[in-house]
Amino acid sequence: MSLVKCCFEADAPGVFEPVIQKCIDPGCCCWCCSALRPRYKRLVDNIFPVNPQDGLVKNNMEKLTFYSLSSPEKLDRIGEYLFQRASRDIYRRRNGFVIIAMEAMDQLLVACHAQTLNLFVESFLKMVQKLLESSEPQLQILATQSFVRFANIEEDTPSYHTRYDFFVSKFSAMCHSNHNDLAIRKQIRLAGIQGLQGVVRKTLSDDLVENIWEPVHMDKIVPSLLYNMQNSRYFEKENATPESPAEERSDPPQFAESCMRELVGRASFGHIRCVIRPVLRHLDLHQLWVPNYFAIHTFRIIMFSIQSQYSYTVVEALMTHLDENSKSTPKIRTSIADTLSKIISIAAGESVGPSVLEIINSLLSHLRVSVTRNLPSSNDEQLYQEALINALGEFANHLPDYQKIEIMMFIMSKVPYSEPDSTASVGKGDVLLQSILLKSLLKVGTKYQTIHLNTTFPISFLEPLLRMSLAPDPEMRLLVQKILHTLIDRHRNIDKLATPTVNIGNLELVIEKSSRPDVIFVRKHGPEIYQALYESLELPSNTVENIEAVYTTLALLAVELATEETVLELLRLVLSLQDLALTSGQISNSLKFNLHAVVMSLLVLISYVCNITSLMDYASKLVEAREKEAVHLLPELKSRYDGESQLSTRLPPSVIIDQAVVSECLKGAGLDTGKLQQGPGYSSSSLQHRHSWVDSTGRSSMADINAGGAELDSAGSSPGVQKKLPGEELTFESMKRILTESGETRREAEEERRLQLSQLFRTAPFQDLVVKTQPKHDMLQNKLSEIFNTLTVEPRNPIQPGIPPADAKPSQTPAYEVHFPELFVY
Amino acid sequence: MEDYKFLFKVVLVGNAGVGKTCLVRRFTQGLFPPGQGATIGVDFMIKTVEVENEKVKLQIWDTAGQERFRSITQSYYRSAHALILVYDISCQPTFDCLPDWLREIEEYASNKVLRILVGNKIDREDREIPTHVGEDFAQRHSMYFLETSAKEAENVERLFMEIAAELMEQARSKELPRYETNATSINGKTTSIGDSSNCSCSRLT
Ligand SMILES: Nc1nc2c(ncn2[C@@H]2O[C@H](COP(=O)(O)OP(=O)(O)OP(=O)(O)O)[C@@H](O)[C@H]2O)c(=O)[nH]1
Ligand SMILES: [Mg+2]
Repeated sequence: MSLVKCCFEADAPGVFEPVIQKCIDPGCCCWCCSALRPRYKRLVDNIFPVNPQDGLVKNNMEKLTFYSLSSPEKLDRIGEYLFQRASRDIYRRRNGFVIIAMEAMDQLLVACHAQTLNLFVESFLKMVQKLLESSEPQLQILATQSFVRFANIEEDTPSYHTRYDFFVSKFSAMCHSNHNDLAIRKQIRLAGIQGLQGVVRKTLSDDLVENIWEPVHMDKIVPSLLYNMQNSRYFEKENATPESPAEERSDPPQFAESCMRELVGRASFGHIRCVIRPVLRHLDLHQLWVPNYFAIHTFRIIMFSIQSQYSYTVVEALMTHLDENSKSTPKIRTSIADTLSKIISIAAGESVGPSVLEIINSLLSHLRVSVTRNLPSSNDEQLYQEALINALGEFANHLPDYQKIEIMMFIMSKVPYSEPDSTASVGKGDVLLQSILLKSLLKVGTKYQTIHLNTTFPISFLEPLLRMSLAPDPEMRLLVQKILHTLIDRHRNIDKLATPTVNIGNLELVIEKSSRPDVIFVRKHGPEIYQALYESLELPSNTVENIEAVYTTLALLAVELATEETVLELLRLVLSLQDLALTSGQISNSLKFNLHAVVMSLLVLISYVCNITSLMDYASKLVEAREKEAVHLLPELKSRYDGESQLSTRLPPSVIIDQAVVSECLKGAGLDTGKLQQGPGYSSSSLQHRHSWVDSTGRSSMADINAGGAELDSAGSSPGVQKKLPGEELTFESMKRILTESGETRREAEEERRLQLSQLFRTAPFQDLVVKTQPKHDMLQNKLSEIFNTLTVEPRNPIQPGIPPADAKPSQTPAYEVHFPELFVY
Repeated sequence: MEDYKFLFKVVLVGNAGVGKTCLVRRFTQGLFPPGQGATIGVDFMIKTVEVENEKVKLQIWDTAGQERFRSITQSYYRSAHALILVYDISCQPTFDCLPDWLREIEEYASNKVLRILVGNKIDREDREIPTHVGEDFAQRHSMYFLETSAKEAENVERLFMEIAAELMEQARSKELPRYETNATSINGKTTSIGDSSNCSCSRLT
């Protein structure tokens, strides 16, 4: 009944229709009525064979096609009629005929590129839907193929078929097929993916049709693709990089993946979130964060497929997701942060301006939240913090160097510290935050390649860093030293200078003549840095590690900045440190011994680096003496020595460095030793008369001449130390040289020494140099994790009572800056 | 020659294992499938029924109850004309989750959607949720209510027939464009049926 009614409605213009339809039973009397039927219906009927196995009647199909092309206005009727026939056949489960009808429609679709296609498309899509709605996998797959063919046709006129809702839903459902027959299941899933790809292509190529980026669609498409990708081989492996695979249409995971790439690649700025959001939701719901292989894989795909200028948005979305997960377990947060760190570098290249600091700031605030969230931090929480720090480092690693400095300054500015004169100590949370921010700083610093120290250490960065180097917590001080190490070292000498040693020759140090800006930097800031290091060595809470770390800093400075212009200041510090070790009433005996060992190691190193033979000889003589009489004053450093108090009382003069001899050696090498004798050297209170640039340059040549007198003074300042003359020949020779040789010959000698030094660097095998100067990413990574492993976040000695605020005079430097503004031109 | 006048989309939701798939298969195929596996994502079935001499096509979307498929199933709510929320009368937790489901529906479905609460598996001896408790809940949340057994084919046919009738009623009363063969859209311009004005709980009887 309704059958008739429908036909009547559809075919009302056809005069003969009602009569025919009433008698119709397509099985029996078609032929007898055919004469009365409109031509298009006859043409359509004729393409069907008697026996469906015979397939489409080819020449009749050609006739139908020809007819459609010559009378395009009939195309919509033809489509409608084909659809009705197919519907009937589906109902009667005569799938053979359904397939033929679909095939005919496909052919007509391809053949008829006319404007009238629009009308036909309606019937075509109804047909496809009809087939998709059937429960036959075969028909569903067939329909999908037709749909895809349709999707690939570029229509010249906009389609007024604007709703793809059903197709998105149905293809998504097919992507989840759970058919019992595995082969069929795979086929249906592949068809589903293919269908989704078709919908996306179709809707994107036509502005008038549905916005496929709407959540209502994306929320189906994206999870369906991910669900299939999930079963991919990548799921198990961590480091499989997603190279663009050849479109593998027979493997659902891979096919889904390439669809995903296409989708992401087509997303414009406004649409990225529409894709990312369901991705995040899917990962949440399917618990795919822990472990996070799949998450990382997926996000890499996204990052590699996305139009690169938008990659920042993905990072932002992950950050936001981290925010939203603030209540989740640390494991989940760690995995998200880890995923972030794995993709953040891809975004770094494209991030500019404020977005960089935004990302850093966001990471830092996550760290802050994590620190304040639970004290003391659980193990998992610590892993989370490390993942964040890693992300920070990864990000910084891929930024240009000038931005790294900016970032380091930015991080430094976030480090809380108590005002030196305020009695209130920093809270426990602050200490933890300090330590975590310093770790972040270290991470960024490790990625930074210093060229000139003055660009690495702007005063606004150096000053707070030095202040932190005197923090009450030894762990913190250690971190600061490590930051200094990585920033000062340019020739990968860190490991070689990790612990004090008097056997410099074996180390194969890489030494290069320091540049002019470096010399100026160290003249300007050297005293400040040395003062801070001195004070840091004075602290009774130091561990062997602390002492060694300061040694490394000093040794690196010596190696990086060794020039005749700067060596004196360094030696002055070394001698002051010896004084400290001899006279301090505050530090333990073992620490004193440690200091002696450091002092000795530095002396050996400095003489070696500056290539002052006489000083080298003197140093080795001292080492020999110590080996005989005071082994405890040589490396390696121990936290405890047998019979400490006894040892400390017996210090034969022969094992102590004599300033006068050192002066003599320097003079012999043609160096201006005035500075060595100037003032009382470094001490805990020497900040007041700190040596400035003016001091060192303003000295008169008279100082040289009066050097002898100063020697006596300094000898007297080391009680119980007898002045020991250095090798007479050397002194004599050098004295003579100074007096007799012209300035020019001296310059020549200096030039030669310079050459020698640079020779050292030049003659090293090129490969070696490359290895030494080009830090390897992995190595850094390993080293860092090593560092993290050895450091626990929990501070052991938060506050040392009885110690005067170590970070004294933070205002000193700005004043200095005001006095000599011209110095900051460099 | 499209053999229906109305197209309605019906979506089933509810905890895993309450019998959604069994209900749909009982209705569309007339059988109770032994060893029915959990649904993955969504499944799709179709049945054309006749109401007052009119053919009505029901597109039935059977969603997975498992939490991990929530993201995909949620996205099916929006286009639904009717939502069937199923629980298992022999399993208290499936009933306890109903408020959560309502929250989801609230968030993702159209507010005009026809909502039906179904307590399934009444053939079972170990009932935990008395009928009146389910009924009360439905009433409080302005839902239709029915108890069924997919196994014994009890009330299943009726459930879907009532839905079809109710939706048709709504469509007619709103004089909305019908789904017709020569309509320009295939996906039922009938979609926006019912600002179901009579949301007060009336039982499907
Ligand atoms: N006794 C009884 N058992 C039923 C009934 N309906 C379903 N079951 C059983 O309940 C189990 C789950 O049925 P399903 O239809 O797969 O449940 P579902 O809601 O589709 O589950 P998901 O697809 O995971 O969301 C099966 O073992 C069925 O045999 C019923 O009316 N009575
Ligand atoms: Mg199911």
